[in-house]
Amino acid sequence: MDTLVSVRNLSLTYPNGYRALKDVSFDVQAGEFLVVIGLSGSGKSTLMRTINRLLEPTDGQVMVGGQDVTHVAGEALRHHRRSIGMIFQQFNLIKRHSVLHNVLYGALGEMPAWQSMAGRFSKEQVDEAMRCLEVVGIADRCHHRADALSGGQQQRVAIARALMQRPKILLADEPVASLDPATSHSVMRYLEVLNKEYGTTVICNLHFLSLVRQYASRVVALKGGAKVFEGMPEEITEEWFRAIYGDEAVEVEIR
Amino acid sequence: MSTPRQRLFSAIGGVAIDALAGAYAGLILVRVVVPSVLYGAEGTGPLSVEECIAMALGTAGCVLLGLFGAGIGRSLLERPQRSGWQAVVTANIGWFVFALTVVAGWVYARIDPSALFSAQGLQGAGRIFSALLSPEFDIIGEALRAMVETIYLAFMATFIAVPFSFAISFFCARNLMNDAPHRRAIYVFLRFLTNFSRSIEPLIWAIVFSVWVGIGPFAGMLALVVHTIASLTKQYAEQIEDVDHGPMEAIAATGARRSQVIWFSVVPQCVIPFLSFTIYRWDINVRMATIIGLVGGGGIGNMLIQYQGLARWNEVGMIVIIIAIVVWIMDVVSARVREALK
Repeated sequence: MDTLVSVRNLSLTYPNGYRALKDVSFDVQAGEFLVVIGLSGSGKSTLMRTINRLLEPTDGQVMVGGQDVTHVAGEALRHHRRSIGMIFQQFNLIKRHSVLHNVLYGALGEMPAWQSMAGRFSKEQVDEAMRCLEVVGIADRCHHRADALSGGQQQRVAIARALMQRPKILLADEPVASLDPATSHSVMRYLEVLNKEYGTTVICNLHFLSLVRQYASRVVALKGGAKVFEGMPEEITEEWFRAIYGDEAVEVEIR
Repeated sequence: MSTPRQRLFSAIGGVAIDALAGAYAGLILVRVVVPSVLYGAEGTGPLSVEECIAMALGTAGCVLLGLFGAGIGRSLLERPQRSGWQAVVTANIGWFVFALTVVAGWVYARIDPSALFSAQGLQGAGRIFSALLSPEFDIIGEALRAMVETIYLAFMATFIAVPFSFAISFFCARNLMNDAPHRRAIYVFLRFLTNFSRSIEPLIWAIVFSVWVGIGPFAGMLALVVHTIASLTKQYAEQIEDVDHGPMEAIAATGARRSQVIWFSVVPQCVIPFLSFTIYRWDINVRMATIIGLVGGGGIGNMLIQYQGLARWNEVGMIVIIIAIVVWIMDVVSARVREALK
């Protein structure tokens, strides 16, 4: 398999002096479903944002598809972000706009600013957006306002928006943390579809170990900004669990 | 817990406040309080030798008190626990300075309750109020036309100012401008410019523009435009600073340009509040336009000042009633519309 993402000795210190990432290294193979686990504040979200370069690392290196993207800027940075889809815990849709438009915004990076701001999306783009909505099974809601949808449906719209970018990689930052258990599985299954059927490499932050065991092909655990575990989901034993989450932690299952 | 550096600044600040308070108390005592008690008139003209001596004595006295631990400076900055005579002095020295200020204010404002209740005064007041309460209906057509002029003037001022405010506000929003030094510089410069122009009253702008383009509604409108741009820019920018950061991040993650990120994630979150601010600003502008008319800004204010100059109080009464009704209607309507927009 090809190494798609390679993170080398990555560190990130915020301007206020907080060290969010400390010397983290790991590789992601093309087609993997890599899950990153760890407590809140362990640096999972920061790690995601250094991969699609919403954040710039203070030290180390991020390679994607063999290219060093650690410090790319301007046009190259936008090109890099375009190749990576991202979904968020809070969905981050444009609430007042229609579902269809929210998906079309996945294409913003590939069109001139004036054309997008005039709302002139092409017929092909609209067709593409509808196809993306069909993949996540909510094409029939395309003319509803985004905030009229339930949480699970909004996350599926967000997946469709990411799909619109035809991404090599999908970053999912706590995609189900705001959802109830049943909805969580439906969202996770769409991520699985993207991974298995479309060959998209998925890097996903998760809280629940039961979900990790079910969906992850490999696991990286962070604690206090440093990598403490890397391996297969079934290797996370009771001891590892305590090492990652602390002695007080009790595993909660989500079925 | 404080560092030695902080303690040093605090001590210097305390002495400075003591010195200023002492100089102030000395000056007010000798220039205002003593003469108005002795001769019924406050001191005038430049500082006299006696006043300078009083200021110096006051300064020295307060600084000395401060050194013994009983000045107001340190009690304001540090709030230390004290006992004995220092506590008494500290507790009362502030009240003493405050009382001096009240006395000086009374003298300078030439407050004279007897004038308010003199027979002659009451007669004049009765004349004016009865005239105001029996408005002259013959001028109602003319007054309504002037009122309409004022409303349109306020509308145009708002209408012209909005695009400017909209464009500038994005450069005045800290959350959009703090990611590079040159952006921060633009932010600081524009913030200064809008704050400065907002601190100049529209009344003064009206005087400036009535000289520039001649007396009339156009001058009034220009004055309101300047003030509206400054005010709306501030309100818009604060709204932009309040937007949810998540959608911005999501749009940026698609590889969109900066302009697209702002247009597709910031603007949708702001349109409704912007609309609400704008309607309220029109409402405020109608009120301001009447006042601006008084100094040559056209409309109903202009008409009001003319009849006032002729002492035709019945006509003035008519105009005041029309202004009051229109302002009240605008107030209710704009509140309703803003409520509906929520």
